[in-house]
Amino acid sequence: MKEIALEEVGKGGIWVFGMLEEGKISHSVLEALSAGKLVADALQKELALVCFSAKDPEVSCFSNLPADKVYFVQNESLSEFCDDVVARVLIYLVKKAEPTALFFSADDEGCAVAPRVAGVLRLGLCAHVNKLEVKDGKILLYRPTFGENIVAVLSCKTRPVMATLAEGAFAIKEVETSPEILKLKMPEEFNWESSFKVKKIEKRKKEASPLLNAKVVVAGGRGMKSKEEFEKLFVLAKELGGEVGATRPVCYEGWVSEDRMIGVSGVSVRPRLYIGFGISGALQHTVGMENSEFIVAVNTDKEAPLVKMADLALIGDAGEVLENLLRLITQEKEKSK
Amino acid sequence: MEKIIVCVKGVPEPGSVKVDPETHTLKRESSELILNPPDRCALELAAQIKERHGCRVVIISMGPPNAEKVLKEAYSYGADEMILLSDRAFAGSDTLATSYVLARAIEKLEPFELVLMGEKSIDGETAQVPAETAAILGLPSVRGVFEIKFDGKNWQVLRERGSFVEEVSFSGRAVIAVNSRLSYCRPPSLKKILEAREKEIIVWNAKDIDANEKFLGLSGSPTQVEDVFQKELKQKGEIIEGEPLSLARKLLEILKEKEILK
Repeated sequence: MKEIALEEVGKGGIWVFGMLEEGKISHSVLEALSAGKLVADALQKELALVCFSAKDPEVSCFSNLPADKVYFVQNESLSEFCDDVVARVLIYLVKKAEPTALFFSADDEGCAVAPRVAGVLRLGLCAHVNKLEVKDGKILLYRPTFGENIVAVLSCKTRPVMATLAEGAFAIKEVETSPEILKLKMPEEFNWESSFKVKKIEKRKKEASPLLNAKVVVAGGRGMKSKEEFEKLFVLAKELGGEVGATRPVCYEGWVSEDRMIGVSGVSVRPRLYIGFGISGALQHTVGMENSEFIVAVNTDKEAPLVKMADLALIGDAGEVLENLLRLITQEKEKSK
Repeated sequence: MEKIIVCVKGVPEPGSVKVDPETHTLKRESSELILNPPDRCALELAAQIKERHGCRVVIISMGPPNAEKVLKEAYSYGADEMILLSDRAFAGSDTLATSYVLARAIEKLEPFELVLMGEKSIDGETAQVPAETAAILGLPSVRGVFEIKFDGKNWQVLRERGSFVEEVSFSGRAVIAVNSRLSYCRPPSLKKILEAREKEIIVWNAKDIDANEKFLGLSGSPTQVEDVFQKELKQKGEIIEGEPLSLARKLLEILKEKEILK
């Protein structure tokens, strides 16, 4: 692996940050890199993955990445994730190479490091961006905002333009070529000390949310009125071999755990069939399900956004329709016995 | 132990927010504010530390004057003092400008041992303020925390990060962002609720915290809102009205058509 001095790092590039953990680049960092490529192509800048690890990586883990360069920093003190050290390294590199933009995946690492960099360098940082655009040489960052179907378009007054990118929002691009991998020589006197001692005590095989690969998703919103009513969705999901999804408000109500949340701060789903019971369709939710093959909305409000985007909209009380549907399914089953 | 600071936020009741058509920022004055739910967990952890180590808990919140109710609720969970950071100059702040104000107020509250915050607010949902505030203060930060212990010398916190649970220990000060995984938060005591009614809220403005105007509000925010628009939606599919039973029949038909039910 070729080693270079920091002075040789290309200036003004588009950077995407990613930790290399267990020798792998995470799915969400790949998505961020693919998003970065849009911007790099539009601005005709170099796209680089800025990657940290405790050990030298297998070069093969960078194959076919949509980047021009991988700038790699290796140091033993990166073996555990210490927010302060990781941010310190990145701040140092940003000061040296003055990238045009610096993107992060909005995963736990990106959300830990990005605001530290922004706070120290006094830079603007946009959160959970789900669309990027370059217009007249300016980077525009889109994100759904609080409330109904409102999208905010943001820009940054400071350089580099910084953003965390919503997980699941950008499709992964693979390319035929592979990036040039360059190991960066950090200065001898660099301070690798952390205020923290980190010890992994448990690795939960946090299974990827069952929603991710579900063929059928039955989701509920506040139109379901109560927790009891909401829980009947689990009965339906079982009958259909599907999974239950939810909107943000019902998760915060405590009707169901947050890992069922679909949307900006939850998961994105693409089932063959999505049925939304009592979901009006705030953008926070719909960005996570709009790619479903067939969308059914059950809602009393004919003007609700989800009703408009549905392939089939049933105008009625979601709880009552669900009750009736469950009864019909039971009857059918008895008939066929 | 001297003092723990908990930063809380009044957020609009979900569904009640309006956007100012001119400044493109959220109009918070127009809606009733509630205590940001994740902050509740930060307050519970602060109350636990107070019980074991006998420190004071000071709540600070940046917001409009109608955030008082939120502060009093937060106080009732076991705090000793509440400070509202309120000034017209703060309006329209992005996360960096907000973090700057919080950092100035926290510095004014020296000496303190720890700063706690909810990991994110349910309105902006940026999850940036804890780490940005820490960075401005020159303190380290940890996010995803759901348990805090202190052995008289060292702090030990448990955090969730990706698929890991990690123990993070440190001896100095830090800003801790608490996640919502805490399964139980104790209700306030009647005594505290009554006390909150009488307790005075200290209000600090930009001058009180010696804030540099350059870094405040809309003009001091490095991110700018270029545009806010409503996503246009055209009716895509068929709309059917009717009795719940007939609607359920239609749904059953679709399930069979798609071969999801046989």
